Amino acid sequence: MQASGHAISITDENGVQVLMHIGLDTVNLAGKGFTRLVEEGQQVDVGQALIEFDVDFVALNARSLLTLMLVVSGEPFTWLTPPSGLVDSGQPLLSLNPVEQTSQKLVPEEGDAVFSQPVTLANPNGLHARPAAVFAQAAKGFSASIYLHKKQESANAKSLVAIMALQTAHGEVVQVSAAGPDAEAAITVLADLLLTGCGEAVASAQVQAEVQAKPMEAQSLTVLRGVCASPGSAFGQVVQLTEQKLEVNEFGVTQQVERDHLSRGLAEASQALQQLCENAKGSGQADIFKAHQELLEDPGLLEAAHVLIDEGKSAGFAWRAATESTATLFKSLGNALLAERAADLSDVGQRVLKLILGIRDQAMELPEGAILIAEQLTPSQTAGLDTCKVLGFATVGGGATSHVAILARAFGLPAICGLPAQVLTLANGTQVLLDADKGELQLDPDLAAIEQLRTRRRLERQRQQHELAHASVAACTRDGHHVEVTANIASLAEAEQAVALGGEGVGLLRSEFLYLDRNHAPSHDEQASTYSDIAKALGPARNLVVRTLDVGGDKPLAYVPMDSETNPFLGLRGIRLCLERPQLLRDQFRAILSSAGLARLHIMLPMVTQLSELRLARQLLEEEALALGLTQLPKLGIMIEVPAAALMADLFAPEVDFFSIGTNDLTQYTLAMDRDHPRLASQADSFHPSVLRLIASTVKAAHAHGKWVGVCGAMASETLAVPLLLGLGVDELSASVPLIPAIKAAVREVDLADCRAIAQQVLGLESAEQVREALRLHHEATVDTSRVLEN
Amino acid sequence: MFEKMQRAFWKALTPDLVVDEPQVVAQVVSGLAPEVVAALGGVDNLKSQQPVALTRVRVELRDGARMDRQALTVAGVPGVMMLDDGVVHLITGLT
Repeated sequence: MQASGHAISITDENGVQVLMHIGLDTVNLAGKGFTRLVEEGQQVDVGQALIEFDVDFVALNARSLLTLMLVVSGEPFTWLTPPSGLVDSGQPLLSLNPVEQTSQKLVPEEGDAVFSQPVTLANPNGLHARPAAVFAQAAKGFSASIYLHKKQESANAKSLVAIMALQTAHGEVVQVSAAGPDAEAAITVLADLLLTGCGEAVASAQVQAEVQAKPMEAQSLTVLRGVCASPGSAFGQVVQLTEQKLEVNEFGVTQQVERDHLSRGLAEASQALQQLCENAKGSGQADIFKAHQELLEDPGLLEAAHVLIDEGKSAGFAWRAATESTATLFKSLGNALLAERAADLSDVGQRVLKLILGIRDQAMELPEGAILIAEQLTPSQTAGLDTCKVLGFATVGGGATSHVAILARAFGLPAICGLPAQVLTLANGTQVLLDADKGELQLDPDLAAIEQLRTRRRLERQRQQHELAHASVAACTRDGHHVEVTANIASLAEAEQAVALGGEGVGLLRSEFLYLDRNHAPSHDEQASTYSDIAKALGPARNLVVRTLDVGGDKPLAYVPMDSETNPFLGLRGIRLCLERPQLLRDQFRAILSSAGLARLHIMLPMVTQLSELRLARQLLEEEALALGLTQLPKLGIMIEVPAAALMADLFAPEVDFFSIGTNDLTQYTLAMDRDHPRLASQADSFHPSVLRLIASTVKAAHAHGKWVGVCGAMASETLAVPLLLGLGVDELSASVPLIPAIKAAVREVDLADCRAIAQQVLGLESAEQVREALRLHHEATVDTSRVLEN
Repeated sequence: MFEKMQRAFWKALTPDLVVDEPQVVAQVVSGLAPEVVAALGGVDNLKSQQPVALTRVRVELRDGARMDRQALTVAGVPGVMMLDDGVVHLITGLT
């Protein structure tokens, strides 16, 4: 029994052990609200009440009442709950099935572990209860110690619970490892069992064939495709990174010794992370390690480990169980961001575990020109890397927010995410060409391709220098049409930087930045002075487009409480939220209006779908302007990011001063694809003809009423899109600050008449790939040749 | 701990997009379906209501007897805990 009375563990005569923990973060209550009904060491009976707690007190003062039950000793169990999932106080929840072979204690490994080939799970729901039970049963038939591996995680293959906790899914790749006298036989039998679905009906013959065909396929395939996580390209050799599996003894010496052991490990880990923070390149990486450090002090985690130590477990075992079970919980909450953070928890877990076990990380010896390949790279794996020798990264997992993407961008190295799992079967030392711009890993590059790459890199460097030197020159096409190239910014510093890099104004000020890290709304004066400072940095000759607060369930704001939504992207976001809380919008309008006259002020409303939203917002704006005694209203425009607004642009146009197209959201709403979805990200491409058609009709409607159209989504920062957007008639491109010189240079390279022709042509194509290909060809045919002619 | 994790990582990874999790603040009636309010005895019977503990909505009723347990089930509230002093927890689960 925990001293604070919120957690208890029960052990039966056979060593079966169950841990129950009431609520989350309840350790902070220090016993308040809990009444112990039994004593430590007391013999208890089935059905006996153990702890009584004040539900209302705990609900009001702790994080949650979610209560964890953990079968620590790992026996299989059966659910006794009804299908509705609802239970009553006193009702049995699960029944433990005793195992014949109760020797669950970790057998020390004999010799090296043998690994099976990676197996792709054919079971429609992964290894859920039934197939997992079949698999564990089969594993128990061998004396070798056997583990099932999934990404960085692994589970004791003889424990049903551990296998289920892995939460494998259909199509996921797993591996079996075994160590001991009958390891080889175990691997053969168990890998086969996985292939055939562990007793579940899967199209087994087909699966067999598919899996057998795989190695051959990998050989014959010359290109693997993924998503660009960081641009660039590199030629080098494959280095596979895998996380080593650590063995720990279950039982500790004495509680005091193990507690000391754990705190020493934690202290050392904290120190190491501090070091990593200080040496980190770029704040993104430093922030990750800072967050890892915070995890080390997390009361919930520490407490869970201490409970297990008090039960006689070793420090290593307790720590691993605590981190792994919490990571599993994170994954089960159904929140993608939290699930990704489970990987961080495992990473911290592994770091501390190594220190407890006294395993020193050896700086990995990398060959020159390494292209690192992994299921998913953890921050710890990448921190110690000798980046002089690394040329690029290629991973199976990961997306826009993955560590590898952040890291690669910080180092300026190319990276691809979302590659097929086959990439993990490439032999170390294989020569590959990583072309992140195209999202391709070429397995059999020819000399010509490599030479081409080198030339391209040299030209790129030359071009960048050239672009920077001409950043302040106006962006006029070859036939003399001026296009406004402006900046997407979120701070005063970025505004200043944008001006220095030749930005002709600000096409998108993300005003949410003013409101970060707050539990209360910023004061009027504070808001007003920030807008005024930015406006002053631009001056009266430049446009400043301020987007009103664009928050919602997907990017919540601390002092704007919102009910949680099942689908925040289709919920109260942007103008919808602001009109629900009109005072917020009025305050913001008033603050923005105080910078009138300092720059050419524009106000832009996000997520507009209905004309009534625009009219209502305009009315509020007019009232605020009147109250301030302003005679002239700032320009008022809307974002075009909901397909409804694009389709009705002809009705919106008479009532606005301008449109700005947010291509990121417009794309995800038009294609109904989440741009951060690991499988769909590569298809959620703004170059899709459907999105282009919406842009075309929006421009047409705006121009018919004499209004201008900008693009402020990521598309405007892509040089490949420049001729296309100009050809569609877009008047302003608002790019991310560092890319302004490149976008301006791209404008100067093209002829507007050419652009119109290519734009018309691609509108009739079938897919985003076709559009990109056509634009590449067009670029080669027009720009590259003309450059050669000039030189 | 979830809050802390989320905050730390969201800040690290999407510094310009994501801010702190919204705080849970009492709001009368908004957030409760009209049928649920009716089953609780109507707006007049509600002293306060607030989401708590990730999985629950805590309501304080002026008169506990005016609550219709059956109607709550019909309105789609999976579980209900009646506590002292007119306090009722509607168990809504993780949403």
